[in-house]
Amino acid sequence: MEDIKDDAIHHTAMKLAEEIKNLSIYKSFYSDVQKLVSSPNVKKEDFKQTLQQAMKEKGLDTKLRNTVFHWVRTQNKNKLDPLTSLSKASAQWEKRIHKSLNSMCSDLETSLAKIRPQTEHEELAEKWNELSTYSLDLSKYRPVYAPKDFLDVLLTLSGYVPFTREDEPKWEFAHLPLQVKNLDQLRKTYVEWANGEPLLGVNPNMPSIVQGFATLEAERIALGERVAALGYAPVIQEYLKKGSPQCLRARLWSQVLGAEVKQQQTNYFNQLKKSVLEVDLMIDKLIFKDVQLTASNDDQYFVFEDLLYQVMLCFSRDSEVLSAVRSLAGAALTVAVKGRHGPDCLTAFPPSGVIPFHGFTMYATPFCYLYDEPVQLYYIFRAFYMRYWHRLHYISTHPQGIVSLCLLYERLLEANEPLLWIHFRNINVNPIRVVFKWLMRAFSGHLPPDQLLLLWDAILGYDCLEILPLLAISILSFRKENIFQVNTLQNVDAVLADLSTISVIPLLQLALMKP
Amino acid sequence: MNTESKKMATSIYGRVNAPVERCRVNFCTDMEKSVLMSNFERRGWHQVGPDDEWNFYWASTQTCRNLFSVESGYRMNDNQIINHFPNHYELSRKDLLVKNIKRYRKELERDGSPLAEKAEVVLHGGQVVTRYVHLDFIPVTFVLPADYNMFVEEYRKSPQSTWIMKPCGKSQGTGIFLINKLSKLKKWSREAKAPFHPQLSKESYVISRYIDNPLLIGGKKFDLRLYVLVTSFRPLKAYLFQLGFCRFCTVKYDTSVTELDNMYVHLTNVSVQKHGGDYNNIHGGKMSVQNLRLFLEGTRGRAVTEKLFASIQWLIVHSLKAVSSVMANDRHCFECYGYDIIIDNQLKPWLVEVNASPSLTSTTVNDRIMKYKLIDNILTAVLPPDGIPDVRWNKVPNSEALGNFDLLIDEDLMEKEESANATGKGSKNKK
Ligand SMILES: Nc1ncnc2c1ncn2[C@@H]1O[C@H](COP(=O)(O)OP(=O)(O)O)[C@@H](O)[C@H]1O
Ligand SMILES: [Mg+2]
Repeated sequence: MEDIKDDAIHHTAMKLAEEIKNLSIYKSFYSDVQKLVSSPNVKKEDFKQTLQQAMKEKGLDTKLRNTVFHWVRTQNKNKLDPLTSLSKASAQWEKRIHKSLNSMCSDLETSLAKIRPQTEHEELAEKWNELSTYSLDLSKYRPVYAPKDFLDVLLTLSGYVPFTREDEPKWEFAHLPLQVKNLDQLRKTYVEWANGEPLLGVNPNMPSIVQGFATLEAERIALGERVAALGYAPVIQEYLKKGSPQCLRARLWSQVLGAEVKQQQTNYFNQLKKSVLEVDLMIDKLIFKDVQLTASNDDQYFVFEDLLYQVMLCFSRDSEVLSAVRSLAGAALTVAVKGRHGPDCLTAFPPSGVIPFHGFTMYATPFCYLYDEPVQLYYIFRAFYMRYWHRLHYISTHPQGIVSLCLLYERLLEANEPLLWIHFRNINVNPIRVVFKWLMRAFSGHLPPDQLLLLWDAILGYDCLEILPLLAISILSFRKENIFQVNTLQNVDAVLADLSTISVIPLLQLALMKP
Repeated sequence: MNTESKKMATSIYGRVNAPVERCRVNFCTDMEKSVLMSNFERRGWHQVGPDDEWNFYWASTQTCRNLFSVESGYRMNDNQIINHFPNHYELSRKDLLVKNIKRYRKELERDGSPLAEKAEVVLHGGQVVTRYVHLDFIPVTFVLPADYNMFVEEYRKSPQSTWIMKPCGKSQGTGIFLINKLSKLKKWSREAKAPFHPQLSKESYVISRYIDNPLLIGGKKFDLRLYVLVTSFRPLKAYLFQLGFCRFCTVKYDTSVTELDNMYVHLTNVSVQKHGGDYNNIHGGKMSVQNLRLFLEGTRGRAVTEKLFASIQWLIVHSLKAVSSVMANDRHCFECYGYDIIIDNQLKPWLVEVNASPSLTSTTVNDRIMKYKLIDNILTAVLPPDGIPDVRWNKVPNSEALGNFDLLIDEDLMEKEESANATGKGSKNKK
């Protein structure tokens, strides 16, 4: 019995070792270990023991563990979608987007991709740090689609599967044969919250229950500093469940996602920048437009406008994004770069495969409160995107995907706020309509940044997005008296428009704690 | 069980404003700003003219000065309050502010106060100067033409630095310019004193060391506009409004000589910036101080951020103490000051000026919400719990009445606490 188990472990270890060889950190890691081996700390007689000890002391041990952690996290998601009908819907939607890109291009008499003329190249390079002053005529460019358009597509999904209950209105996600949790199951996931454990973000003066600390915040800071110094990703993830103090967040978030910036990352970023400067993609205009429509006009983010142009432009050139989310994204467009010849004249359009929708920049804006270096900002945004955000704008059956989140929202509303559910029925408003933009943007641009960062702590800590529909429900339920007073979509929207007074953590904890 | 979160979720974050108790207050105002009028209306107050029986007067500084002047002979009764101190200019005129602070420091020094400690510091230029350790919060400033010789002496010590000239009696950035050569100042003074401009020669200016290393965010300079409510100068009672904001320039900061005259680079006044081509009237270049704090804590860490905000409070309190002895401490008065503060790239705050009638014009939606709250909070804080102006009240609002104001200092309360502690200790000692 033991033998079999040992064998299995041995087998997994071998497989892991092979996999690690393919990772980008392998080379530098290997040379670090080699250096250690030749140091006097490692003894030939007691090789294994002393090497392990030395690796621990040098932090290589943590690095190896984190590498395995991050690798494992990327593994279980590349499965194909089981519901083929949804992949069909998804493919059609993608096609529609590509078509509208193409027709925008021909309307504007421009091409999807072309070499940037030398003068333009130089101007862009010169203004790289203040792209808000780079003048472009964007008046004819429109976002390819908005959350509302995407929702309209999602609402047709039930048409792709045979549905049984004739008496229900068609718009329910309930027709989709997907499993989502109920509130009790969510309580098991968010067990610390459900148990009423003290969380950051409730009250800055909340006293600590640990001796020696005046406030919970002081206690969390002290613990967080130790956790950050240890640098072990699973421990950090655990820590984030109860919220991070703002002063440690930047560090902890990078660590838990393995998004720390080293020379290699900086080089890669510069490579992306270079490709922005060299090739003019039509999508660049859409990116400019999106930053302008969102961040530039927002009093929380306008000061970060120039950083965001850089980050979003580079993101569009990042083919690693495409390979990470390919299973969802389907095939990207392939286009020829006008003015370029030879073998590399073809490019995926865009290389990241991601066509931004109206508000896409909002996936990156809140990070501006944590990182003021474009490279750091870039890698945290990218890591969040590859782990979470892409699920919010691609159609899939993944339990963390937007379809499941919509369904979860519907189920929670029906089960836990039946009067609201009936009210929506009576006024003939589809309840998903009033919250969809929150879900799709993970509340970015809707909540003030301090509240948003607390919410995103929870996403990282529990490594799931189910908190989004739960928060949507909690807000509705908090404002329900006002919602009962109104009977049109427009007026419900008005009741929910201003979230600046919402205190996210108490509201969520209240929803999760047993009555 | 966590009752804390329940309490928070239900009380503080409720959307519906609790109805304010309505009572008969006659108000008078000579500036019909909407954030003022809507507050008076919501309280159900009744508007009357200046010659009627008013209880509450929101006046311009000029009207207020006239009212207090000897010629007017107006005497207020116990149920009348007004929004300025008669000689607020001790704080709000650029030259008097500097004069008072200099005097305050000298007095402390003479009394051997530890607050007046001095030490040598090295400037960017490498030169060593002696500065107050705790009270070095205004840039070196001289009044012109009076202190011209002193200025020249200081100027010669570091001829490469930039200076900023500001007319004492103006506001909103008017008449301000930067100087990097003495010749430029000489030229200006020759022109100003030319026989064709006799009126100009009378005007006095302050010249201050230009803070050329401001903290930049997104490459742009900004300053803080903070609101400070004073309800008494002796004893000093002052409160800081939490919802201040940063005012950003629309053009990237650039210290090159060619940009010296570009006011969109150097002056943060909204009244200046809004004429720029890049002005955005949705956000108006304004970011909340709370978000500034979030940003600094996230990118620079907690300790330095706390220190910055503590230094800001310190600076405000001492600027008020500097004038408290010269202010006419009329019991009928309260005043809300607009503090202009610049943070340098070492995260040290500098006091630029204090305004006695900060703008109540709303440039954006959020600006309007914030200013509406400001007025609401001021009204609640300066009125006794029954809502009727009364100068006999002890001016100790309870914590709820403070709303978004934080207590900066209340010398009355401090004294009471001290004596309570002293007697407490005394009785312990006896045991
Ligand atoms: N010493 C200084 N260093 C740097 N900038 C300054 C200095 N003094 C003033 N400024 C800038 O000029 C603006 C206007 O100056 P201020 O003294 O407030 O005069 P005003 O009464 O015209 O507003 C300030 O808001 C600030 O942006
Ligand atoms: Mg000013």
